[in-house]
Amino acid sequence: MEVFAGEGAALWYLLLGSLVAVAGTVRLLLARDLLARLVAMNVVGIGSLLVLLSLGARAESAAPDPVLSALVITGLVITVAFTGLGAVLIRRIEGIHDAEHAPDQAADGDQISSGQNSSEQDSSSTEGGRDS
Amino acid sequence: MTTAEFSLAGIVLLPLLASAVAVLLGSRVRAVLGILTALLICGLCTAVLIQTAAGGITELALGGYEAPLGIRLRADGLSALFLCLSAVVGTVVSAHAAILPASAGHPGFWPLWLGCWSGLNAVFVSGDLFNTYVGLELVGLTAVALVALGGRDSWMPALRYLFVAVLGSLLFLVGVGLILAAAGTLDMEQAAQQLAETPEAHAAAVFALCLMSVGLVLKLALMPMHRWLIPAHAGAPGAVSPLLSALVIKAALFVILRLWLWVMPLDATTEAETGLAEGLSTALTALAWTLGGFGALAVILGSVMALRQDRLKPLVAYSTVAQVGYWFLFLPLLLDPEAGALEGQPGTTLAEDAVLSGALSGSVALALGHGVAKAGLFLAAGLLKELWGTDEIESLRGAGRRHPLLILSMGLCAVGLIGLPISLGFTGKWHLATSAVAAEHWWIIAVLVLGTLLSAGYLLRGIAPLLLQDAKDPQDQEHDAAQDADASAESPRRQRLAEVPAFVLGLLTVLTGFLAVGIDALMGVGAPW
Repeated sequence: MEVFAGEGAALWYLLLGSLVAVAGTVRLLLARDLLARLVAMNVVGIGSLLVLLSLGARAESAAPDPVLSALVITGLVITVAFTGLGAVLIRRIEGIHDAEHAPDQAADGDQISSGQNSSEQDSSSTEGGRDS
Repeated sequence: MTTAEFSLAGIVLLPLLASAVAVLLGSRVRAVLGILTALLICGLCTAVLIQTAAGGITELALGGYEAPLGIRLRADGLSALFLCLSAVVGTVVSAHAAILPASAGHPGFWPLWLGCWSGLNAVFVSGDLFNTYVGLELVGLTAVALVALGGRDSWMPALRYLFVAVLGSLLFLVGVGLILAAAGTLDMEQAAQQLAETPEAHAAAVFALCLMSVGLVLKLALMPMHRWLIPAHAGAPGAVSPLLSALVIKAALFVILRLWLWVMPLDATTEAETGLAEGLSTALTALAWTLGGFGALAVILGSVMALRQDRLKPLVAYSTVAQVGYWFLFLPLLLDPEAGALEGQPGTTLAEDAVLSGALSGSVALALGHGVAKAGLFLAAGLLKELWGTDEIESLRGAGRRHPLLILSMGLCAVGLIGLPISLGFTGKWHLATSAVAAEHWWIIAVLVLGTLLSAGYLLRGIAPLLLQDAKDPQDQEHDAAQDADASAESPRRQRLAEVPAFVLGLLTVLTGFLAVGIDALMGVGAPW
């Protein structure tokens, strides 16, 4: 299993990362379901971070390039922040959707039913986006 | 540490700090803090501008650590110009949001916008690719949240924008990783040097440039990838749309210019004679022509789409899509070895590198002029929508009678967007056209002429009905009475005052045309040739 060690392994991961990223991109562009698209966005993220990691491992020296690892960690943090914001937005959009389809249920619970309510929700989203 | 160096760090860190503090404050105090920060940024920006205008590049290694280990901030002519744009537009729009809090949509506007401002400035002064990435992400994240402030109708566009922004950033990040792997450093200057010296790294660099260009073009909404921009920019609150159109997309444009002109070893790849480099230069040329072609497509199709709009804000948003196209037209000139053939020949007055520098400063002038003019136009359109409750052009008929100043400012901004003389838009088109003629790229002239005619068409179609006044029928009078009642319900003086920022931007659109010579001189500071 020579190819799965050292530089060969890095190449395999490079290929795998690209495949994952491409598959995620296709799903992100084609899926209709919002949650599926959010998950696909994360798959693209994982794929491209895998590419970066394998680029770092390809260096001649034994230790992987620390700068590339730093890039990957930053990329992870930022993807998490975006995912949080996206999740808040999706919950609200689906909230409107539910409220339209079941008007009597929308009055209770945390669904959005009025303009003032929506502005309050806004603050929670922006704060949530910043916190993450 | 000199004043300019101090300002360089302050311009990034001050709005970030203000953003964090603003979260803790009440909504009224937030506006005061926002205005104070804006004024301070203007001051800091002036310090950087003075240093750059004197011909010096401002550099600051944060914490005293030099690159490649440390973080280096760097401001040359290009940075100074975009910093000034963000300072001027940011301050005027902040003033508008402070005068009319309703136009910001929500008090969450202030922390988000200040964070966005910090990200923009970080992109403009960043000396390395990694900080550029972080800055772009800060801008993207806050911009998505700013769009979402527009209420329930804007959540879906905001989500769409989020997906596009993340996809674009990830492509950019992989490109950054490739350049790091090829050049061994993230610092732009050092990477450019390294790439110029090592031909075997060119393949990776060209591939990285392709990935990064696609990613950034997604964020810039160049023609085939423009669909997300219309609902996002049109659905955002009145004070947010101008920021998105004037500044947020400029961050991506700035990075594209930096990559193509400062980081890529274009000379080395086009002039080398090995077989590999030849293939690479073909690939690069194809990429430049693709982007240039998309630009031409955007100018024409975007304008046609703008002509077909019945509502004011989508019309202005489509006009942004059209104007984005202009900034890509010069790319094919960059890689054309014949482009500078007429330089220094007898019978011409062209100096060395005049064609490329003319095309670049023309494109930059177009982008800056668009920033000021589009901010003014979006501000005015947003205010009209706020006051009248709709932005359908037909229902706004005769609005000029009640808001003459607002319509005047829209007219002034239209002058800049069409590119009529003395505005910056005119200077930009003139420079670009002159370079295109010198390089014998006649298609650019055709696109410029057609784009100008079409933009005059859609802007007139949007603004002219506001000035027309029909013979009144009773229904209209009722409508007017209702409007009067609305106006007296809110504070009319505040509304009058809210028209002033748009007017200031309108005036600046025309007056900045006089600064065109200064732009050429500034672009020469730290130019890539």
